[in-house]
Amino acid sequence: MSTLNYRKLSRSGRWLDVRRRRLGMWAYVLNRITGLGLVVYLYLHLGVLSLLLRGPAAWDSFVAVARSPYVLALDVILLAGILIHGLNGLRIALTGFGIGVGAQKALFVVIMVISAVALWVAALKIFRV
Amino acid sequence: MNMLKVPLQIFRYKPGQTPGYDTFTVEIPATAHVIDAIDAVWTSHDHSLAFRRACHHSSCGSCAIRINGLEKLPCVTRVTDVWDGRSQVRLDPLRNFPIVSDLVVDMADFFRRMSAADMAMICEAEAFLPFTVDTFAVADLEPKLVELPENFSRFTRFEKCIECGICMSACPTMAADEKFLGPAGLAAIHQARKKTLDPVKVEHLLGLADGEHGVWRCHSAFECTEACPQAVDPAGKIMALRRELIARRFLKMLGK
Repeated sequence: MSTLNYRKLSRSGRWLDVRRRRLGMWAYVLNRITGLGLVVYLYLHLGVLSLLLRGPAAWDSFVAVARSPYVLALDVILLAGILIHGLNGLRIALTGFGIGVGAQKALFVVIMVISAVALWVAALKIFRV
Repeated sequence: MNMLKVPLQIFRYKPGQTPGYDTFTVEIPATAHVIDAIDAVWTSHDHSLAFRRACHHSSCGSCAIRINGLEKLPCVTRVTDVWDGRSQVRLDPLRNFPIVSDLVVDMADFFRRMSAADMAMICEAEAFLPFTVDTFAVADLEPKLVELPENFSRFTRFEKCIECGICMSACPTMAADEKFLGPAGLAAIHQARKKTLDPVKVEHLLGLADGEHGVWRCHSAFECTEACPQAVDPAGKIMALRRELIARRFLKMLGK
């Protein structure tokens, strides 16, 4: 029987397609985006640390850049990724143990509220407002 | 009777042709369901439109499609619930299944997954299975044994689940792992597990669930449970299987 393999047409798009989907799917997509972001950050972080091999002058010049508002804004984004990925990971672990499966949407709302509050406080500290 | 003129945008595909969309406007009663609109397209516009339907009351699961992107049973979805009165209602086949033609998908892999659970349940109302009625013997009302496909010992039916495939279409993991047992397959394993205390069967079922394409491939999007039209709660069943598997591992570590 000749069939059209629709899956191959849309495989990559499926992972990020949240149109008309529910909270669980938003949590799923957010976890993937933040996970990929944190992996990229890890390699960037290792690259930055390697500046130490080039002596104090190289490191000091990086620190000067790191204090600019643009890089501090990136720090806030990084923190958002850590909070969302970490707390959502806890939610997934809990439901994976069979705990709170029926409340998974409420759990997601709670972790997003906690993330938003923690991020707000952290952003104030980072920008020394 | 209050009539509506509803524009439908329907996915079209015939073997050897490029897939695309056709638009039809059908006149249907305001109380009509989406399946009635599809029927109207077939009746009044295009006899080549391929789609499935049978029971018209959410019992057989054969008509499952995506309506405006979301998996639904068109036999119990009112047009007025999915149409805003202006834009087109888009109809697509289920995702994660090979498309045979238009809105018809190939369900063979799905049923293979379901049979992996070796389900031994037959709903009492279907106790006549595996019998059928021979067309030529209706007058005598003599049931006749169905000729089963090779390697099938009996027909089985998963209680509550109508085997519509909607959960498999809604699941994002299905797009990443073609061999994933999927929400329906894993819920079936859970159901079969609940029904048996036979240690050999339990090992077989939990072994399937614990395999490379089993419960650990689920990434907790919970879309299957949201989409299921029969409240089977496949995600809940997957989590219950995980809990049992984790508990067994802990007990094994403790030497029990």
